[in-house]
Amino acid sequence: IFVSGISASFILLVLSLVLETQALTPTHHLTTTDVARLQAVLSQPFTDLKSAYYSVVGLSKLGISVADAATCRFIKSNLDPSSVESLFFAAEASQALPGCEIPVSNDTRDLLLATVSEDSTASQIHQSVSALSSLGLPLASQEVVSALKARISKEDNVLTIILALQTASRLSQQAELGEILEEIEDLAARLDDLGGVYLQFEEGLEATALFVSAAYALSDHVDMEPPLKEDQVIQLVNSIFSKKSWDSLSEAFSVASAAESLSNNRFHVPVIVSAQGPAAISHSQPFLRLQVTNVLCKPLSSASVLVESATATSSKSAILSQAPFTLRDGVFELNFMASQPASGYYQFSVAIAGDSRFVANHVELKVKVSTRVSINNMDLSVVDKDQSIGPKTTRVEYPAKAKASFMADSHQIFAMTFQLVDETTGVELTPHQTFVRLHNQKTGQEVVFVAEPDSKNLYKFELDTTERKTEFDSISGTYALYLMVGDATLENPILWNVADVVLKFLDEEAPSTIQAKTLYTPKPEIQHLFREPEKKPPTVVSNAFTALVLSPFLLLLILWFKLGANISNFTLSPSTVLFHIGHAAMLGLMYVYWTHLNMFQTLKYLAIIGSFTFLAGNRMLAQKAVKRYTHLLPVFSRPKCCTVITTKYIMNQQHHYQQSNIEH
Amino acid sequence: MSNSVISVISRFLEEYASSTPNKLKVIDAYLLYIMMTGALQFLYCLLVGTFPFNSFLSGFISCVGSFILAVCLRIQINPQNKGEFLSISPERAFADFLFAHTVLHLVVINFIG
Repeated sequence: IFVSGISASFILLVLSLVLETQALTPTHHLTTTDVARLQAVLSQPFTDLKSAYYSVVGLSKLGISVADAATCRFIKSNLDPSSVESLFFAAEASQALPGCEIPVSNDTRDLLLATVSEDSTASQIHQSVSALSSLGLPLASQEVVSALKARISKEDNVLTIILALQTASRLSQQAELGEILEEIEDLAARLDDLGGVYLQFEEGLEATALFVSAAYALSDHVDMEPPLKEDQVIQLVNSIFSKKSWDSLSEAFSVASAAESLSNNRFHVPVIVSAQGPAAISHSQPFLRLQVTNVLCKPLSSASVLVESATATSSKSAILSQAPFTLRDGVFELNFMASQPASGYYQFSVAIAGDSRFVANHVELKVKVSTRVSINNMDLSVVDKDQSIGPKTTRVEYPAKAKASFMADSHQIFAMTFQLVDETTGVELTPHQTFVRLHNQKTGQEVVFVAEPDSKNLYKFELDTTERKTEFDSISGTYALYLMVGDATLENPILWNVADVVLKFLDEEAPSTIQAKTLYTPKPEIQHLFREPEKKPPTVVSNAFTALVLSPFLLLLILWFKLGANISNFTLSPSTVLFHIGHAAMLGLMYVYWTHLNMFQTLKYLAIIGSFTFLAGNRMLAQKAVKRYTHLLPVFSRPKCCTVITTKYIMNQQHHYQQSNIEH
Repeated sequence: MSNSVISVISRFLEEYASSTPNKLKVIDAYLLYIMMTGALQFLYCLLVGTFPFNSFLSGFISCVGSFILAVCLRIQINPQNKGEFLSISPERAFADFLFAHTVLHLVVINFIG
C-alpha cells in the first residue's frame, strides 16, 4: 500500500512538472464592456473626499482625465488640514487633476512630517509620505525607511506590507530600499494557489490587486524585475479580473490601479488574445480575426502576430507554418482559406512578439473550417431479391423529388446510393449525420435509418421489407423518403424529400391504429383492501353454547345438595364476615378488570383488597383450626360455598369429649 | 368381558360411596363440574371455530387450572394422606388454594380480552 502510495505521488509530481512547463494563458480578462463598466463605477458622483479620491485617481489610471473645475473646488472645500487622511486624499486627487493646487501651510507640513514615525500605523505613514510627495514637500527618506521597517516587524500582515511597498515607491532612489524590496518575494509566497488557475490572498481581491500595483510601482521605481514568474503573473490576472462587478468604490479603484500597472510597467505585460466572433472560417468568411490587447483592452499595435503552426486535429498534418497576421483597424487577420484547408478543426499555435515584456504570448486556438456540401449521383432503385439483374435506377437531382413513387414488397429490396462532396473542392465528405427517414403520412409513423459509406466514400442504403418489418410494425402504405445530412462543419445542412416509397408487408399483423406510448398517462387506481373482519358464528349458536357451558353449574348445585353440603357451620364472627366481603370484592375486581381496568390498576386494587382479605381470612381460618383442635375433630369449613358437618354432629362430638374429660 | 367391566365399575362406585368422606365427595362434585365446563368449551371450539382464539385459550386454561388446584386441595385435605402433609393443615391448604386461584383468575381475565 505504501509503495503504491509513494509511486502514485511520484507520478503526480512528474505530471505536475510536465503540466507546468506548458505556459498558462489567461482564462479571465476584462472585455471592453467590463472596462466600460469599471469606468462607469468610478464615474459615479462623489459624496465625500474619499470617494472623490477614488474616482479621480481611478479614472486617471484608466487613462481618462477628469478636467473639471468643480471637482477641484469640491476637493478644496472638503479638505480638513488637521487630518492626515484628508490631506492624502486631497493631495493625490489634485495631482491627477491638471491645474489644481492645494494650498499648503507650515502647520500642514509639520503635521505630515510628524506622522512619519514608528508609532504611526503603516497606513498613516503611507498617507503622509504620499501627501508630502504629491504636494512637492521635502521628506527624509531614510527616516521613512526605518519607520516602515519597524512597522513591518511589529505588524506582519499583508496590508501593512503592501502599504509599505507603496510608500517606498514614493521615496528617493538613493534610499536603502533593498529590504523592503525583498518583502515582495515574501509576500508573493503568501499567495494562495487555487487549482493552478488563480493566485490570490485570503484577504481578498482588493488586497491582491493592491499588491500587484504596489509591487510593480516599487519595481519600476528601483528598476529591478519583480520576483514573479510568468505563470504567477497570469494567475494573478485571472484572480483580479475574474470579478466583473465590484462591491465598493475602493475595490473598483484597486482593480483599475492593478490593470494600469499590468499594462504600463517595465517588466511584465500580459497579453490577451481572443478571436473576434467565433473562430470559424468558411468561403464566405475567409479571414481569421484576432484581437491582441493588454489587460485594459487596449490593442497592442507594436506586436507582431505569427502563426507558428496550424495542424488539422484529425490528420495531424501541418497546413501552415510561420505565417504572419496583418494588422487592420486594430485587429490582426489572416486569410486562412487561401491555404485551401479541408473542412474540419485545426489547432493553431500563435505567437505574439514585439516586446520583451510580453507575458503569455503563446496561445493555442481551435479554429473550425466549414464548407458547403452537395449531393451527387443520387440513384434510387428497386431490386428483386432472387435475381440481381438490371435494376431500374432513377437518378434524382437535389432538390427535386422523384416523379414516380417506388413500389417495394416482400420480394424486393429498395436501394439508394449517393455521394457527398464538398461544393467547391469536390473532395468527398463523410459528415457525422447521414440519415434516411421514412415517414408515413397517414399514420404519422416515422422510421429513421443510417446510411453508411463504403470504402470508396459512396453512401449506400438498402431497405429489405421482410427484414425491417418490425420497425414498420408491418404497416403497408406510402412512405415519404427524406435524406438528412448534417455536421458541425457543414454550413448547409440538408433535409431533402427524395421520393415516395410504397411498401407492402406480407402479414398484416399490424394493429389498426397506432397507439402512442402510454408511458405518462395515469395508471389504473389501486384499491386498498382493508383487512376483512373474521367470520363470526351466528348469535344463536353463540347463545346456545353459552347456556350449554353454564349448565354444569346447575349440575354442581344439585350434586352438592344431594351430598348434604350446607353452610350451617357459618359463624358470624367479624373476621369471617370481613373475609367473605373481601373475597367477594376480589371477584368483583376481576370483573371490573375485564371491563375497565388495565393490569397495573388491577394489581394496585388487588394488593389493597388482597391484603385485607388475607388478614381476615387468616384470622378466620386460625379460629377454625383452633376450634378443630379443641374438638379433636377434623372440622373444616369451606367458606367458599357450603360446608359438610352439621351442627348436631359437632354438638354430639363436643358432648362426647366433655364426657370423656369429666370421666378422666 | 363386559360383565367383568361392569362388575368392576359397580364395585368401585360402591366403595366410593361408602368409604369416601363427605368433604371429599363435595370436592369431587366440584371437579366433575369443572371438567364438564372445560369439555363443553372444547366442543364449541371444535364445532364453531377458534375465533377469538385468546378467549378460548383463557377459558380452557381456567378450567384446567381450577381442576388442578382442586385436585391439589383434595390430596392435601384427604385424612389418609395426613402423614405426607404434616406441616400443612387443611386450613393452610385451603388458603393456598384461594391464593393460587387469585393468581389464576388474574391471568385468565388478562388474557380473555
